[in-house]
Amino acid sequence: MARTLAMFTDTSLCIGCRACQVACKQWNELPMEAPEWTGSYQNQSHFTDKTYRLVRFIEKPQPNGELQWLLMSDVCKHCAQAGCLDACPTGAIHRTEYGTVNINQDVCNGCRYCVSSCPFGVVAFNHDTGRANKCTFCNDRIHNGLGPACAKTCPTESIQFGFRDDLAAKAEKRVAKLKEMGYANAQLYGADANGPLGGLNAFFLLLDRPATYNLPEKPLLPQRNVLVDSVLAVGAALLVGVTAVVSFRERGGKGGGDA
Amino acid sequence: MLRNPEWHLLIVWYFFLGGIAGGAYFTAAIADNFGSPRDRNVVRTGYILALLMIVVCGMLLILDLGTPSRFLNMVMHFKFWDPMSIGAWMLGVFGLFAFVSSALSLSADEGRAPLRRKISLVGTIFGFFLASYTGVLLSATALPFWSDARLMGALFLASGASTGIAAISLLLYLTGDAAGEGFKKVKRADRFAILFEMAVLVLFLVLLGSAAAPLVSGQMAPLFWGGLVVVGLVIPLLLDLLGTRWVPAVIPAVLVLVGGFILRYVVVMTHA
Repeated sequence: MARTLAMFTDTSLCIGCRACQVACKQWNELPMEAPEWTGSYQNQSHFTDKTYRLVRFIEKPQPNGELQWLLMSDVCKHCAQAGCLDACPTGAIHRTEYGTVNINQDVCNGCRYCVSSCPFGVVAFNHDTGRANKCTFCNDRIHNGLGPACAKTCPTESIQFGFRDDLAAKAEKRVAKLKEMGYANAQLYGADANGPLGGLNAFFLLLDRPATYNLPEKPLLPQRNVLVDSVLAVGAALLVGVTAVVSFRERGGKGGGDA
Repeated sequence: MLRNPEWHLLIVWYFFLGGIAGGAYFTAAIADNFGSPRDRNVVRTGYILALLMIVVCGMLLILDLGTPSRFLNMVMHFKFWDPMSIGAWMLGVFGLFAFVSSALSLSADEGRAPLRRKISLVGTIFGFFLASYTGVLLSATALPFWSDARLMGALFLASGASTGIAAISLLLYLTGDAAGEGFKKVKRADRFAILFEMAVLVLFLVLLGSAAAPLVSGQMAPLFWGGLVVVGLVIPLLLDLLGTRWVPAVIPAVLVLVGGFILRYVVVMTHA
């Protein structure tokens, strides 16, 4: 595998211009969709099958009663341990040689298991094509020496593209700097390769707790439940089996199919 | 912000009928191996019912796909840790077992019975799998109510067993075999299965704790308490135990089937 590529979204630099959202739409030829009233500047309210990059406009109440903008350009996290990838029965969702997670549209059959297996609710079902859609990390661009359209277009370098280890080191420095400047809650989300889901290949610098951004504090891999639940089901099967044998066995203890 | 997979009635029906297929096959296998020759109708009914249900299940699953023409892509891969991947494979394997068992049970040649019995014991494993993996599949998602329920697979298995038995019971009644020895045994098995399902359901709710809210006090609560608990479990059990003469012996079985459907409905639709 080639060196892992990543996107680092530094929300402290985001000005909410939505150039990334537009660039994503343009490059990926994503059609227009009906706008949605969210009570704020944000549109759409969440990722859709036609919106892979989404600038979130979060209004956080301040002690003095005023609202503070928290801007965050959100995207598929391309998890190192990806719930969608593990859930996909067709192999359509795969990991590329750069560590990103992609859905092969020529293989996906629209079972939608990935949709409910993403801890971030990123994957969306496309009713027009009957397949699942999400950010491709501009797979076509990164294979031709170009960065993802969103990173390329970002005027403030809030979205940066590069090798994961380089970006993570850069991010650490940036957090330290912000803390120095008085942003006490500045923190990285998903930068740690030993953290939840083995680290996110699209990671973030947040100015507040993840929950403020509607992100899970500790995202979990859905497949963690398979083993325990299967064992419990086998236990239930054994118990049901015993009761049925008791019901059908001839009284008097003769039993036995060949008797 | 999580997203539901837009699984609706087709999947509810699949979960329900898959449970019946597994339960019916298992009941037939037990009757075949541990019962007497007088249980032959139970055996035959169970195997054939399982086979028919599997065929319907396959069609439901294909219809639910966004791109149905690509249904074979399900078996181009095998992921042992992925319930949907193994599920697709096992539906096919179990279908094979149900086909062979059905064919052998129709044969008048009793010399084939020992082979049929051995095959059915292996097939039962796959039947149990089909009845329960759907619960494990739900619990391996990111959605809170589904994934907090450690006993979803066990509960679906218990319900699959009781609905499978009830379906055989109903068919025996409809084909005029309600007076036979087999019918009595099926009813006895169903009584155990209902009791077991009740026990698993109680444990399920206790383990879920506050995460059970959508079911026990949310939108689904009337259907859950009224449809599943009262109509689907308590009433059939009471009718069965009291054995009143003015209620046809088949009514408990019908109620169990209704309850089994409602269980799948409330669980699947909670996140729909």
